Amino acid sequence: MNTEVFSTEFWQAFAPEMVLVVGLIAIFILPNLGNSKFRIPLTKVQVPWFFGGRRFKLTGSPALPGMLGTATLFIALGMMVIEAVDGKMDTTTVTSGGIVILQIDAFSRFFEIIFLAAILLASMASLDRVPAHTFEGKKSLEEMYDNRRQADLYILMLTTALGMCMVALAQDLFVLFVGLELASLATYVLVAFHKESKAGAEAGVKYFIVGSVASGIGLYGLSLLYLEFGSLQLSTLSANWNEGSILATIALGLVLVGFGFKVSAAPFHFAAPDAYSGANSPVAGVLATASKAMGMIGLIRVLIVVALPEDQSDGSAVWIYTLATLSVITMTWGNLAALGSNNPKRMLAYSSVAHAGYMMAALTAVGAWHWGHVEAPADYAEAIVAAIMFHLFVLVAFKLGAFLVLGLLEMEGGASRLSALSGLARRDPLIGTAMFIFMLALAGVPPLAGFMSKFLVIASIVSTSVGDLWMNGTVSFSDLHWVWWLALAMFINSAISVFYYLRIGVIMFLEVPEEGRRKPLPYGASIRMAIWICLVGTVILGLSSDTLIEMCYRAAESLNLS
Amino acid sequence: MLVGGLLIVVAGLMAFFPTLSDSNSDVDWISIPLVGFPIIVSCILLAFASQESRSRKDIIAAPIRLFSLCASLIPLAISTALFFDWLLLVDWDLAYNEYALEKEYLWIESIGVSWHVGMDGLSFPMVWLTTFLVPVTIIMTWNEKDGATYHPLLLMMGGALIGVFVALDLFLFYVFWELTLIPMFFLILKWGGKDRRYAAQKFFIYTFCASVIMLLGLITLYFLQPEGTGSQYGTITGRTFDMTVLFSNATAFNMGDNVFLGKDMQNVLFAMLMIGFLVKLPAVPFHTWLPDAHVQAPTGGSMLLAGVMLKMGAYGMLRIPIAIFPDALIFYQDIIMAIGLISLVWGAVVCLGQTNLKRMVAYSSVSHMGVILLGIASMQPIGYAAALFMMFAHGIISPMLFAVCGAFKHHYHSMEIGSMRGMAKWSPYLAVYMMFAWMASLGLPLLAGFVAELMVLIAYWPTYGWWILLPGFVLAITAAYYLWSMQRTIFEGGEDGQPPESLNGETPPDITLSENIGMIILAIFTVLFGIFPFIALEMMDQWAVALFEGVFNRGGI
Repeated sequence: MNTEVFSTEFWQAFAPEMVLVVGLIAIFILPNLGNSKFRIPLTKVQVPWFFGGRRFKLTGSPALPGMLGTATLFIALGMMVIEAVDGKMDTTTVTSGGIVILQIDAFSRFFEIIFLAAILLASMASLDRVPAHTFEGKKSLEEMYDNRRQADLYILMLTTALGMCMVALAQDLFVLFVGLELASLATYVLVAFHKESKAGAEAGVKYFIVGSVASGIGLYGLSLLYLEFGSLQLSTLSANWNEGSILATIALGLVLVGFGFKVSAAPFHFAAPDAYSGANSPVAGVLATASKAMGMIGLIRVLIVVALPEDQSDGSAVWIYTLATLSVITMTWGNLAALGSNNPKRMLAYSSVAHAGYMMAALTAVGAWHWGHVEAPADYAEAIVAAIMFHLFVLVAFKLGAFLVLGLLEMEGGASRLSALSGLARRDPLIGTAMFIFMLALAGVPPLAGFMSKFLVIASIVSTSVGDLWMNGTVSFSDLHWVWWLALAMFINSAISVFYYLRIGVIMFLEVPEEGRRKPLPYGASIRMAIWICLVGTVILGLSSDTLIEMCYRAAESLNLS
Repeated sequence: MLVGGLLIVVAGLMAFFPTLSDSNSDVDWISIPLVGFPIIVSCILLAFASQESRSRKDIIAAPIRLFSLCASLIPLAISTALFFDWLLLVDWDLAYNEYALEKEYLWIESIGVSWHVGMDGLSFPMVWLTTFLVPVTIIMTWNEKDGATYHPLLLMMGGALIGVFVALDLFLFYVFWELTLIPMFFLILKWGGKDRRYAAQKFFIYTFCASVIMLLGLITLYFLQPEGTGSQYGTITGRTFDMTVLFSNATAFNMGDNVFLGKDMQNVLFAMLMIGFLVKLPAVPFHTWLPDAHVQAPTGGSMLLAGVMLKMGAYGMLRIPIAIFPDALIFYQDIIMAIGLISLVWGAVVCLGQTNLKRMVAYSSVSHMGVILLGIASMQPIGYAAALFMMFAHGIISPMLFAVCGAFKHHYHSMEIGSMRGMAKWSPYLAVYMMFAWMASLGLPLLAGFVAELMVLIAYWPTYGWWILLPGFVLAITAAYYLWSMQRTIFEGGEDGQPPESLNGETPPDITLSENIGMIILAIFTVLFGIFPFIALEMMDQWAVALFEGVFNRGGI
């Protein structure tokens, strides 16, 4: 289906995103409603004006933005999930002046579900992590701070969600970039939002500076692409890619820098550990899951949709060696750095660097899709993209879950050392067990979701490296494509990673809680509920992953690779 | 309390009553009764126990312990009944790639994974051994501290181990293979000795590293197999993880001069799978995790670790690579023999130098696992049956060795062989069991270990000839270190003996009733299978013959 911007079909198709916009506007307006009146000049007639003045008790409640933001995200997510389950995944494209700018299909909807799920869980956790306090009674400075920033926090959350959705929907690299910046700017502020510690502001500034430099380089790459092809339309770029000169390759490299920062790929990952450890944990969780998925969309769009050769002599893409090298460096660096870090948030940050490396290794395998032994290359490429999508989806369950547990610890004062976790299993057996399960899932222990995702990623790499060799009957090991070794690198790396994931388990189950942390954990109903949702997701998506795998394949098919 | 336990048993049997009443093979005797039931019960118990406060934990420990024991008796009852045909007639004389009580449910259809379980002459002895060892272990460690979580973990361990043995799907096999790590990790971590933290992590990481390489081999094999259509094949990938399908495909290709996947690929994949299994076995030079894990593990953990978990490696070897890559087996035959021989010699020689009782027993396990490799390398049906019987016999004897070590540690607070003299004076029961277990392990005739060792040597002769002198000599070394340690611990010390310093002058007690019961059961079965080995051996022999018939018979050659 093809619609123009702001036509009737447009509003119908974009109903979930519109819910986000409406929620955003409501959070802007509602807390400001009051009994102010406007006197018509020279008369005594006073017209109620509602903006400003003494705030209404109902709409002025500091708890309102949190409720509103969470509810908005929940409704939008619900609409998308219902649409996805119904299978009404017709492709809807939106054109403006003959240019396709946005497209709703299974692929974009899938990613939007990832984004909204991650942000919804984070905002649920924030209800307790950055709590609103009632107006009655005397309040401390912190409590007044908390009340003051409620609206800001959820506005930023919803803006992030909106920007990310735009990235998922974009069919034009320029629109994609605008969405990316919308989301990025909001996350820069969110990182600095952690005012309790000095690290927050520093982390935000660092993340902003490095991030904006990376975006600038990416934007320069986009402008070079525009210079080369005269358009930033994905379809145009894809069709003309083979005629591109060396300029296009350079531009591609520059664009990779921009997206590489978002997925925190080495060597652009340096800001990530600082940002994650400075931000409050739910926000760090969003950075590690949704923000990474957003960068991954960029990589998929640019590397696979645009820069994949239709027919080349050796059958591999120009970027294959670069990406292979980067992926191995990223995963190894991430894991080795995580081994040595004593801060659980930094450790999780480095582990997410390692996970970025795994996904890049999978992308590398797509570059090999046209090699000699592959008959139907699109199938292999789709399998890989589906595996990456599965990985990103389940990452929301266990990586965000781990950050939320740290968020629960932050509520009683900081989780910046591993010793904060000591004795967690004794203080709260259920939360301790949940954290241990998240760690096992991150390490890739069956039958949890983390194992399934790692399994699918590796299986898709191996599948490409094997290709259609099985038809020969006799295979020599040297016949396999070299991307097979990336699978081995992934396995060796995930074996290394077990060490630091297990260490957390050991600390939780074996060590004595440190001084001042002997009491039970703070309660926090909604953050605990978010943790339970993550836990259930981790287990269920591991045990019965079939539906999700099918969904990922359908989504990958809608990319129309071939 | 006893009444409560009995009620639980009755309730458990009642739950199976509908299935008991109609004795046909359509009933799934494996999935829920043998695998699911222990795991689910233990999860419930653990969740229940973890919610209780510290002080309440000691109170609820007794009922939970009893509950675990009763729950572990149900799989034992079922597996025993299956052996004696009390429930239904099971024909264990199966052709190659045929399984009794086979059940298949589709699980992850898109990539061709199914919950496919079944048993044959290879897996049933191991399943019975596991169901037998779990209650014995629970009885043996009846007084272990913090029993509210300890005994459920043993139960869970049992369920996961049975899952490994009954899985007929590579994916399912791998899932259970890794699942066994988790309860064992906690057993070592929470109830282990002084260096438990190091030992638990080393154990987990070492075996995990090896098994991911195995998994990569399995995935590569998965994509190299021919595509097909059928319920077992994945709807998206067109391949299957089903072992039975893979085996029959491989056998169909391995005909005459043809080789499934080609010789080169077979060798690579065989090596990748074997790395996972050799580490688990463990064979020298991959054995270094075992002494640490054993020395630090609590008694119950050691018993299950040595009794069943090591056999997972041998089981995996006999089940997967040999059936799919027979040519690679011939290629690697001498290397496997060499590894087996080195394990045998190395384990025995290192034993001679040990002063720690448990470490010595652990190295003797390495030595005995080398015997299994020799049986595999012999390429004779009798060698395979012998390897399997060795697994079985060692599965009964080594828990007894570790039970003795555990009791010794528990009552004497020491593991040093030279720290005391004249144990027979204070602990006559323990001394008798120690002597018995040591004798069983060094291969005294009429005990189970002897049969296995003799059979391996018989199979070894036609293939390797006079090389037989080396294992024969090593078995003599085995006798040396056992006798030496026995002499230094049980006897000597004059009239009053020499109690260890760690007891601070107290009189050492003898073993408790529960330890006595546990050990006597193990001793009885050691004698039973030593005198009447054919009870178990018949089934193993049939399996080995069927395997050779199916795998190495290449179209009449």
